[in-house]
Amino acid sequence: MGTNVETRLLGRDVSFTVAEPWLAYWLVILRVTVGWWMLHAGLDKFLAWPFDASWFVGGAAAGTTLGPVVTLFSEGAALSFVNIMVPLGQTLIGLGLVLGALTRLASFFGAMLMTFFYFINGETGGWAHGLVTGELLGLLLFAMFATLGAGRVLGVDAYLAEMDLFKDNARLQWLIG
Amino acid sequence: MSELNTADKIAAYGGGGLVVLGVFVIGLLEMFLGSTHPVSGEGQIEHEALIPLEVRSGIILLGLLIWAAYAVYKVVATTPATDAGRTV
Repeated sequence: MGTNVETRLLGRDVSFTVAEPWLAYWLVILRVTVGWWMLHAGLDKFLAWPFDASWFVGGAAAGTTLGPVVTLFSEGAALSFVNIMVPLGQTLIGLGLVLGALTRLASFFGAMLMTFFYFINGETGGWAHGLVTGELLGLLLFAMFATLGAGRVLGVDAYLAEMDLFKDNARLQWLIG
Repeated sequence: MSELNTADKIAAYGGGGLVVLGVFVIGLLEMFLGSTHPVSGEGQIEHEALIPLEVRSGIILLGLLIWAAYAVYKVVATTPATDAGRTV
């Protein structure tokens, strides 16, 4: 069983067979698991409210590569914005992946969040656990979901794709899938 | 279009079902009915979980074992001479 994939990569012909049900299966398993990872992180912060990210954006981030950007959000209204957007973002990213809704949009922001976590946690820890960390793997998984349009497998995006709103707008189609 | 056979289905639904049950379904239950964060960052138990963590991790382990058993089965059950043209 399977579908033959034929393409070119790095200037070479590539041909391999993929079993369709297993491809669909793993997209869903990974999407739901990573989705719950994010959803749990977001809901956990809401249930233990108030959430204060100042130790991260003001403390840990200072002196790191992304520090000049992140520390701009370490005080006042900008910090209040981060304190809401981190748990809200994690919750929405998680919901998007679990439900397969606006999967590419959710994956984009998931990868963005992981970029901050990866560099700031890695650099403050002196990369003591190596360069390949959970944050990097999470980032790559988000990129894979966005690339493959994982929300079309048992996800809300399969229904959204049939709606005229998305059918008639090529730009909106990049947000689902 | 291809479909899963019986062994495939046992691995897919049995293994995957247990992993999703342990990670996601029980996690959701804990979030709303039990303890969202039963263990602190230092490993201290802070709240009693609705479903003991040993049971939850055991469910996930069982799912992983089913996947592993399926992987071994696929290798063992494949006859080199007749299944040389495998596609998976």
